[in-house]
Order: sequence, then C-alpha cells, then structure tokens
Amino acid sequence: MKDDSDTLMTTLPTPAPRPSWRKAAIAYALIAPPLLLMVFLIFIPALQSTARTLTVDVNGTPGFTLSRYIAFFQDPVSVSNLMFTFQITLITLLVIFLVCFPLALYLRFANGRLAGAVQVLALFPLFVPGVILAFALIRFLGTRGTLDTMLSIAGFTGFRTPYLKPDAIVFGLVWESIPFTVLVLTAGLRQVSDALIESARDVGANNWQIFWRIILPQISRPVLIAFSLNFLGIFGSYTIPYLLGPAAPQMMGVFMQQTFGQYRRPDDAETQAVITFLICAVVGLLYVRTVASQRKQEQDS
Amino acid sequence: MKLRFALAAAALTLMAGAFSVSAQDRSPIYVYTDSDTNVSDFWTNFIIPAFEEAHPEYEIVLTITRGVGGGNADIAGRALAALETGDDPQADFFEQIGVDSQQAWVDAELFLELNEENVPGLANVIEATNRLPQELPYRGSQVLLAYNSELVAAEDVPTTYAELIEWIQANPGQFVYNRPDRGGSGAAMVTRAIFEVTGRDPSVFIPGTADETLIGQFPAAWELLGSIHDSIYENGSYPAGNTPVLELLANGSVSMITAWSDQSLQAYNLGILPETTAFAQLQDLPFTGGYTYGAIPSNAANIEGALTLADFLLSLEMQQTIVEEIGGFPAVAWDLLPTELQSQYTNVITDTVPTWPGGDYTAAMVEGWYNNVATNIDPAS
Repeated sequence: MKDDSDTLMTTLPTPAPRPSWRKAAIAYALIAPPLLLMVFLIFIPALQSTARTLTVDVNGTPGFTLSRYIAFFQDPVSVSNLMFTFQITLITLLVIFLVCFPLALYLRFANGRLAGAVQVLALFPLFVPGVILAFALIRFLGTRGTLDTMLSIAGFTGFRTPYLKPDAIVFGLVWESIPFTVLVLTAGLRQVSDALIESARDVGANNWQIFWRIILPQISRPVLIAFSLNFLGIFGSYTIPYLLGPAAPQMMGVFMQQTFGQYRRPDDAETQAVITFLICAVVGLLYVRTVASQRKQEQDS
Repeated sequence: MKLRFALAAAALTLMAGAFSVSAQDRSPIYVYTDSDTNVSDFWTNFIIPAFEEAHPEYEIVLTITRGVGGGNADIAGRALAALETGDDPQADFFEQIGVDSQQAWVDAELFLELNEENVPGLANVIEATNRLPQELPYRGSQVLLAYNSELVAAEDVPTTYAELIEWIQANPGQFVYNRPDRGGSGAAMVTRAIFEVTGRDPSVFIPGTADETLIGQFPAAWELLGSIHDSIYENGSYPAGNTPVLELLANGSVSMITAWSDQSLQAYNLGILPETTAFAQLQDLPFTGGYTYGAIPSNAANIEGALTLADFLLSLEMQQTIVEEIGGFPAVAWDLLPTELQSQYTNVITDTVPTWPGGDYTAAMVEGWYNNVATNIDPAS
C-alpha cells in the first residue's frame, strides 16, 4: 500500500481540490442571471428573428426561403447603405488607430504633469453623451461655426462644412472612440517591459524598428480587442450618423430605424438587422477568440 | 444669522398656511399637460394667473406628465378606470389629448361632448380646426417660410410654390428643409410638393387606407423636389430636425427655410432668430398645420370648473396671449383679434390650414422622398 501511494505521488500531479457541489451551485447561481438575460433577451430573439427572415408562408405552412435576402441585395439603396456602413466603419477605425497609437505611446512612455493632462483630455469624451457631442459638433463644424470662424480669421475662406456629410460621421465617431481605444492600448503597452526596449536600443534599433519589431508584436492582442469592440460599436452606431450624417446614404442603424418606424416595413427592418447581426457576429467571434487564446496562454504559463 | 433663518422659515410656514386655507375655499381644477416646456411654462406664467384672477372661486392644479410613461394618455387610462368603478378620476381637464386615439375611450364615451351651449366660446372657433365633438382646439401652429429680410427683398419672396421652386433654383445653397420624418417643417415642404402635383386639393387625401391612384402620382413630386436637390444647402444636405434648420437660418448659413410658426415666432421673440427675420405664407395653398385639442373627461369631479376653463381658453384675451407669448396660431378667426396684432402677422395669416392624412400616406411619402430625392441612386435600376 505504501509503495502504491508513493508511485502515485511521483507519477501523477496532485489533483486540484475539486469544488464541492455547494461551491458549484453558488458559482452557477452567480452566473445564472447574466446568462439567462443573454439567452432570453439576446440569443433567443436573435434566433427567432433569423428564423423568421428565412421562412415564408406557403398556404398556411411555413417554408424555407431566401427571398428577403435576395430582395435586400437586389435593392440598390439597401446595398449602398450596407457598403456605406462598411466604408465609414473601416475609415473610422483607421483614423482611430492613427490618432490613438501616438497618444497611447506617449502616455506609456511620458511622465509628469503634461502627460497627466493629456490623459485627462483623452478620457474626457467618455463623459460626454452622444447627443450632446453631436450638437456640439454641429456648432463647431457647421457653416459659420467655430472652426469656420477661426479659419476665416486666419485668412482661410475656402472652408466647406463636413456637417451632413460622411466626414462628419467619421469625425464624431473617432472622437467618441478615443478614450476606450487609448485605455486598451495603454494597458497593453504597459505589459511591454522597459528592459526589452532598452536592450533593443542598445543593439542600435531606431524608434520605428522598436515600434514595429518589439512593441507591435507584443500588443497585437489589445489591438485586436480595440479593433473588434470599436468595429461593433461603430457598425451599429445610431446617434452620430443620424444627427451629423447625410440623409442618403445611411448607416445601417439609421436605415433599420427608418425602415421599421417610418416606412412601416418591419419584415425588411428585421432582414437588415439579421444581416448587420451576422456581420457583427463574425467580428465578435474574432474578439472571443482573442480573449480565449489569452486565457489559455495565461493558464499554460 | 440663525435667528433670521428661523424667522424666514416661520414666515414661510405662515404663508403656506394662509395659502392652503385660501386654497381650501376654492374648488380645484385638475389640469394635466404633457406638452413641451414652452407650453407648460405658458400655463404656469400666463393662463393660470389670468384664470384665477378672472375666476377666484377656482384653483388650477397643474400636473406636468411630460416624459413620464405615456404622459396624458396614462392619466386618461386612469380616468377610464375611475369611470368603470365610479370613482373620482382626479382629472378635470387635459391640455392636450387625442380623444379617439384609444378605442376603449371612444367606446366608454370617456370624454365630454363640447358645444356652444356648454362652451359658448366655441362659436368663434374656425372651421379649419376640424374638431371632433369632444375636442377643444385652443392653439394651432402652421408651417411657413422664414427668411432673412436683409438678403431677400420683400418683392422677391415667393407667394406660390412654383415661385418658391424658382427662387431656390435661382439662389443655390440658400434654402434648406429637414428630412420629412424628422420634423413637421420639412415634411410640410414635401407634402406641399405632393399637393402641388395632385391638383392643390388636400381634401382628396382622406385619413385611413391610402388611395393607390394618389400614391401613383407621387413620382411627379419627387421630380419637382429632385429639381431643387442640388440647390439645397451644401448641394443637397438635409438636417435631421426642425431645430437644426432654424439654427442654419439664425447663423446665416441659409437665407430661407420652412419653419413651424410657433417655434420660429418664439425663437424670434427670444432673440434666437435675428431681428432681420421675416415670415411669409404661400398664397396659392398654404403649408400644412395643425391644432392642439384639449378635452374634459365626462366623469370629472369639477366639470363646471373645467367648462369655465375651456371657455376661458377661447376668450379673445387668451387667444391673443397665445399668439404673443408662444407664437401659436389662434383657434378663433384672426379678424376677431386686435387689428394691430393682425397687421403684424399679415403675411402669415390664413384661414386655410391644410392637413396631411398621415398613416400609410406618410410611410409612402417618407420612403419615396429618401429613395428618390435624397439619393442619386435609382431604386428601380
């Protein structure tokens, strides 16, 4: 008996203490509310919607059809709105990273009062509601607005307002997304050790090489997280494109609301919603995989 | 300091006491409103003091239900429940309500029929208000043209829709209206185009099921509005609301807009619109408008007081205040009001107030506009 136990001790790792059934019950009870909420308010309605858009009533019996989707992709207005949404989302994301990378790098490596002030400024949009932002931007970017006035004082008179044009949507959405992106990127950058950067510098790497070869590979995960979450927020955005953007083409959020509330065609609105949902689900999957691979890596290490 | 506070508190208590004593002597009229701030302020600052002075036996208890659940509809629901149980609904007058917006109200005859016998002032109310027997139209609003008189000479101001179209084409970038589903002032520009191509006779549009032959004529309106698309502010940029349009006129970005009479006249009186702003109405067929209807629940505890209030609202004195204070249009004929006031509004006075039927017609109007006027894409391609 003694030998047996000895061999067991040496060959097998000590099993983790199994949680008792009470512990498990408590754990499940704790995650149950959000899980049930997700299931009943998101998953089931989403599945129901998807199923509804794929069925057609043939003499009282439901049948499978793609007709609603075919109609969507044959309607030039719907297609142009979908393409417009993609276009705005990708341009906005590009601008977000162009603005936020320098900001995050600065906040990671700079110290002192100025850096503190910049951080406060970068986080400020977090506390401004979208509607307020939209009206402030109308005042700022509009014809004879603040920017127009400042430029004309400086002698530049060729200003054409972006208000009610696609540019204004990009402007508003970028401003709104700065705090979250900067927070995620700065957090990622904090994990890059100073020692690594210093040793790279010692062997003669310049700033660009340090960024491209050392920093970027290490923060690819936070970049992916910022990309996917921003994508989801922008693709489905409503207030900014509605108040600042053109009447046509429209982003999907505005288009869906319009189809549902104004054109009174709930079926078509549902089809638009499912298409939007599927596109966002693909990006959501990217996010989930990124986070899951991080978990796995942390557990392995 | 402390003593002064105590004294002030004591004085306040005394005053409140005195107030409540006098309030007990007066019979309360429970009034509910869910209208915008300008209207509830108007009640607090003008109607209530004037009414209580003219009728000291009554006290108005105003409750603002704006933004709370269903607003006045919830209170009407309560009144309906009280009607079934025979209780006091604690509601005597609704400042604004659609008396036929819920079938249960109609079936139970929840609202009192008003006529010249119980509300003598109804004799002065104009036909254009188009009221149901339970409705008390007491203020109106109509869409009109607002323009910068410094930039547009009086003789150049369009008097017909055709002239308006011409003016817009001749002055590119100087005119703007909002998307038709985002505010009535822009919708009026679109519905007026539809009236224009359907014979300028709004009476052919009957609420309810849409007439397909009428909807079949809408493309002519899209052509008309499409012909000015490039001449609209910033090559065809349509703001998403009445207020952004007023703002574009106020800051000089454009020199002519369509606007609600009450919103623009009030903005003018407050100095938000510059003094150079002037107003005009089309003479061949005016833009659409509408009236606000009050109503009295038939089981109100203070019907007597509510009827007195209803009649008071239609008094010429109050109708004049509505024009002066909130830029509303009177529910009574303009010529009953002081000549001075009439001459001030002479360019916008009309006894014709066309209405748009809404429902399916609105859905077709909005969708048609988005797909044909606002975009360069041809949905049929």
